[in-house]
Amino acid sequence: MSSIDQALADLRAAFPARFAAAETEQALRDENAKILGKKGELTAILKEMGKLPNEERRATGEKVNLLKAEVEKGFEARLAELAKGKRDADLAAPPFDLTLPGRLALPRGHKHPISRVREDVVAIFRQMGFAVHDGPEIELETNNFERLGFPPDHPATDMQDSFWTEDFGGGRTLLRTHTSNIQARAMMGQKPPFAFIAPGAVFRRDDDVTHSPMFHQLEAFVVDRGVSMAHLRGVLSEFAVRLYGPDTPVRLRPSYFPFVEPGAEVDIGCAFCKRPDGTRAGCNVCKHTGWIEILGCGMIHPVVFEQCGIDPEEFTGFALGMGLERVAMLRYDVDDIRLFTENDPRFLEQF
Amino acid sequence: MKASYAFIRELLPALTASPRELSDAFTFAGLEVEGLSEFGAASVECVVVAVLSKRPHPTKDKLALVTVDLGEGKTQEVVCGAPNVPEPGGLVVLAPLGAHLPAAAGGKGMTMARRDVAGVPSEGMLCSESELGLSDSGEGILVLPANLADPGTRLSDAIPSSHDHVFEINVTANRPDALGHVGLAREAAALYDLPFAMPSLAAVLAETAGAAGGVIGDVVRIQVEDAAGCPHYGAAAITGVSVHASPLNVRYRLAALGVRSISNVVDVTNLAMLGYGHPMHAFDLDRLGGMIVVRRAKAGEKLATLDGVERTLDAGDLVIADAEKPIALAGVMGGATTEVHAGTTRVLFECAYFDPRSVRRSARRHGMHTEASHRFERGVDPGDVEEVLAHALATTRALAGGKALDGMLHVRADMPRPQPIKLQRVKMDRLLGVSHDWQAALSLLERLGCTVHGTATDDEAELRPPTHRPDLLRSVDLIEEVARVRGIDSIPAELPPIRASRDVGGREELEREVREAAVSLGLSEAVTFAFLSPEDLANAKAPPAFVGLKNPLAVTQSVMRTRLLPGLLQAVGRARRHGVKDARLFTIGRTYVAPDAAARAKEPVDPAGAWPVDERTSVAAVFVGERPSWLQKPESLDVWDVKGTALELVARATRGVWTATAERLDATVEGAAHLHPRGAARLMARGRQLGTFGPLHPDVLEAFDLTAPVFVLELDLEALRAPLEAADRVVYKPIPRFPASARDVAVVVKDDVLAGAVVDEARRAAGDLGQEVALFDRFTGGSIPEGHTSLALRVVYRAAARTLTDAEVDARHTEVTQALQRAFGGQLR
Repeated sequence: MSSIDQALADLRAAFPARFAAAETEQALRDENAKILGKKGELTAILKEMGKLPNEERRATGEKVNLLKAEVEKGFEARLAELAKGKRDADLAAPPFDLTLPGRLALPRGHKHPISRVREDVVAIFRQMGFAVHDGPEIELETNNFERLGFPPDHPATDMQDSFWTEDFGGGRTLLRTHTSNIQARAMMGQKPPFAFIAPGAVFRRDDDVTHSPMFHQLEAFVVDRGVSMAHLRGVLSEFAVRLYGPDTPVRLRPSYFPFVEPGAEVDIGCAFCKRPDGTRAGCNVCKHTGWIEILGCGMIHPVVFEQCGIDPEEFTGFALGMGLERVAMLRYDVDDIRLFTENDPRFLEQF
Repeated sequence: MKASYAFIRELLPALTASPRELSDAFTFAGLEVEGLSEFGAASVECVVVAVLSKRPHPTKDKLALVTVDLGEGKTQEVVCGAPNVPEPGGLVVLAPLGAHLPAAAGGKGMTMARRDVAGVPSEGMLCSESELGLSDSGEGILVLPANLADPGTRLSDAIPSSHDHVFEINVTANRPDALGHVGLAREAAALYDLPFAMPSLAAVLAETAGAAGGVIGDVVRIQVEDAAGCPHYGAAAITGVSVHASPLNVRYRLAALGVRSISNVVDVTNLAMLGYGHPMHAFDLDRLGGMIVVRRAKAGEKLATLDGVERTLDAGDLVIADAEKPIALAGVMGGATTEVHAGTTRVLFECAYFDPRSVRRSARRHGMHTEASHRFERGVDPGDVEEVLAHALATTRALAGGKALDGMLHVRADMPRPQPIKLQRVKMDRLLGVSHDWQAALSLLERLGCTVHGTATDDEAELRPPTHRPDLLRSVDLIEEVARVRGIDSIPAELPPIRASRDVGGREELEREVREAAVSLGLSEAVTFAFLSPEDLANAKAPPAFVGLKNPLAVTQSVMRTRLLPGLLQAVGRARRHGVKDARLFTIGRTYVAPDAAARAKEPVDPAGAWPVDERTSVAAVFVGERPSWLQKPESLDVWDVKGTALELVARATRGVWTATAERLDATVEGAAHLHPRGAARLMARGRQLGTFGPLHPDVLEAFDLTAPVFVLELDLEALRAPLEAADRVVYKPIPRFPASARDVAVVVKDDVLAGAVVDEARRAAGDLGQEVALFDRFTGGSIPEGHTSLALRVVYRAAARTLTDAEVDARHTEVTQALQRAFGGQLR
């Protein structure tokens, strides 16, 4: 056996153990380099081949290449083994401390509870085909009262004690006491049929636990030929179901608002003490009646149509309105309306 | 309005519904009963007893042992501490063992049990009016008039009005008829389909006329100078009355209804008002000087009203006057000079119909809201004047004796009679969306007092409403009557075919997008008042208010805001005082400024009238405290936090369509005075200013009592509004197909070199191959010379159509570094 053959045989015998002895990837690569590197043992053997006669060179070359392939395979195998070992060790290592707080670049922002309610209610009416009609918060007296059938100096305006503005050259103006001014504006500005909602801030001279001088209402109204009180009930029932869940009953009690006739107040089955069988246990929210009052409604008064240039013989319509604070107070169990405008971050963060 | 169940039943004896049932029936007919309480509940259990004897308590001076006769030969001894135990024979009220006195023990209630009073057992208690819940007076025990009832009689039998059920009814402004028990009885009759008869006028008149004591026209003359203010003035007189306290039965009836008993004659007027809902007034006839004039006051005239206030009258006030001076404010309150008093013997009763608006104006002008004005404002029944006067005479004779003067005086102008209203069956059914029985509907309207005018057919009828229902003016009013009495709840529910409309104004969605964006950026939404004080605006260096309020609740809410910031700054101040140091709040709301005439000239005319002022929807945000960090010492917020939020807010609110930039702003220019001059910036997009941001000026911090730096942002949504509607869209750019190469460069520049200029220069030098230049490190101190800053940039190179070679990238990057050296004298690091 030639010395080259001997060297190859020695190397073949030795490299598996040498690879196996390497405990890290770096050690393995170093060992591999010692064999296959430019100055490696196999490269050295290869250089010896030059001294061989031509006829032996080819056979020996094949043997060298064969061994090289074997070494490379051994290297790859050991490399994979080391990687697997490392991964096994990682998998078996102690768990992360997941009690440490989660990391978030930004704190969470919160919508105001009134906005949450507003967006929900607006979405419900939009799905039913209503569009949003905007209007001014500082309004002409006529759009807030006369066009809605409030006679001047009528006690009905007691319900809506108004903030009047100083004269700034714009006629008699006030902070609107309800979003119903939008009814006047829509009827003056458009030809029926239409279906609008009008959400927004309104103002009354009241300030206590359940009244804020500024609060929010949402009005919905439909004007078309043949609109009936049954349609009003239909919309109310649908609204109640969509806001408070299936099987929410609606109850009407006749009441009086100057711009509707007939007019009614609307109670819905209390959503807070509803039992699985659909009955209501009675709770503090509904004062143990099973019903909570959430809005007022009625058929638009012919006087309103006349004031706004719409023929009441041709068109009828209904209107309904609710206080968003009231809906929010019920929904979130808030007992003092002033919390909504105090803006304590500890309050806002709860929504 | 408090209403008595017993009173209603006296007027409608056929009524069998319980108080609870009647309460529900009223509520579902539109007379909302907000409360139902029992008056004098103890009267049912307590009994009238006669004092037989009394002797001193063995140990206590102030107590007595009283033996009482319980009737049927039974007697009992009770301990009593009252100073007014009557002599034997006197009638008092005993609460026997087991009786429950809800009003006793300071309103906590007590149930009578055997107890020892200072060593002497007592099985019951002699009661005071307050313990019985019949009045507030706790002065001694209740001593009943002699011969009122036999001992052993239940108090509620001896004095029927000592037990009642009281409804608290929220009577809406359209139902003045329900402000009297006659109206409520009539309503109950309609609801339960019972016959209702008014107390017979003929009977009452016969009773009074029989005892004529003269002719009224001989003692007083009535002159109405303002027939519009007083279309009907009626008067009746009675002589020889004896003014004293009313009997208990009257006093308890009044007490149940929350009315103070004054004297028998004054109580007569209150009973009439509670009965008919028609206020009246009693004058001492001898103090009138034989003359009643109904006229407008002369400006500056004085009137001392019954509440003890001297009032200066306005020329608009309608008054009742004698020959010289006002003696009553018509429909609101009587005057002191003609008041009925203990010595009064001749009384003139007034019952009138005053113009509702006139009464309302006077009442409001003088800040008075009386039982009378409340009713006149809503419109009393002009048809019951004679009846009310007759009723008053009859009641006076019963309570105070005397003889009625013959006749009544009536000065009346033509009151428009209620006009017949045409009701069509088909219209009714169409409006309600349900078919009601036509005949039943007509009969129901008749029960409510309407009379069929002419002949009703199967399809239509003409009905004349009664005078006590001024709210019935058109057919819808009659339709409502049918709906509410039949049960409005019986109307079926049916979804209408809604023809879709289009938004008008378009702020709602924009506000929603902005709200969504702000919340996604970690801000919490606040809702602030639209009004504030002029100082709040001045403190925030905001423009002065354009709109002030005439009648604010407080000066702190007296003008309409021109900026949103003050409200937020106040919220932050409150929060910090409560120990909440970190706050990131925003609010969306309107500011109220002078109309922009030029802009308005371009808008179409609004038939409902232009908006009185420009209401600009804005967003404001405040940042105070620390930036969130993870397990590290938190760092204070700075102006770059608000800059990042500002730019991103615009991007998110416009769904990435708008890219805003920030520009330094000269804080001396209008609209930026509230910002710290070092950090004042404006937010620009598409060549227009969207808003401003920066640190708050120390003056403003101080004015709002804020001790930590606050960063603010204001954004004018109106600037975002119009263009967003103009079909803006995101345009897709092809995704790069060839790889990019990144190179870093760090350059040391003088401190006054703006980072943005360095980035811009690098971008320029990178030219067509430079895809992105980003500042990734900023460093001072260490080996960096004093007055210098090291800025490290990463430049990403890429060509759209091929892979760049290292040589190409290196060459271009060398150009970039050289350019930075040239431009800023920067040393490479």
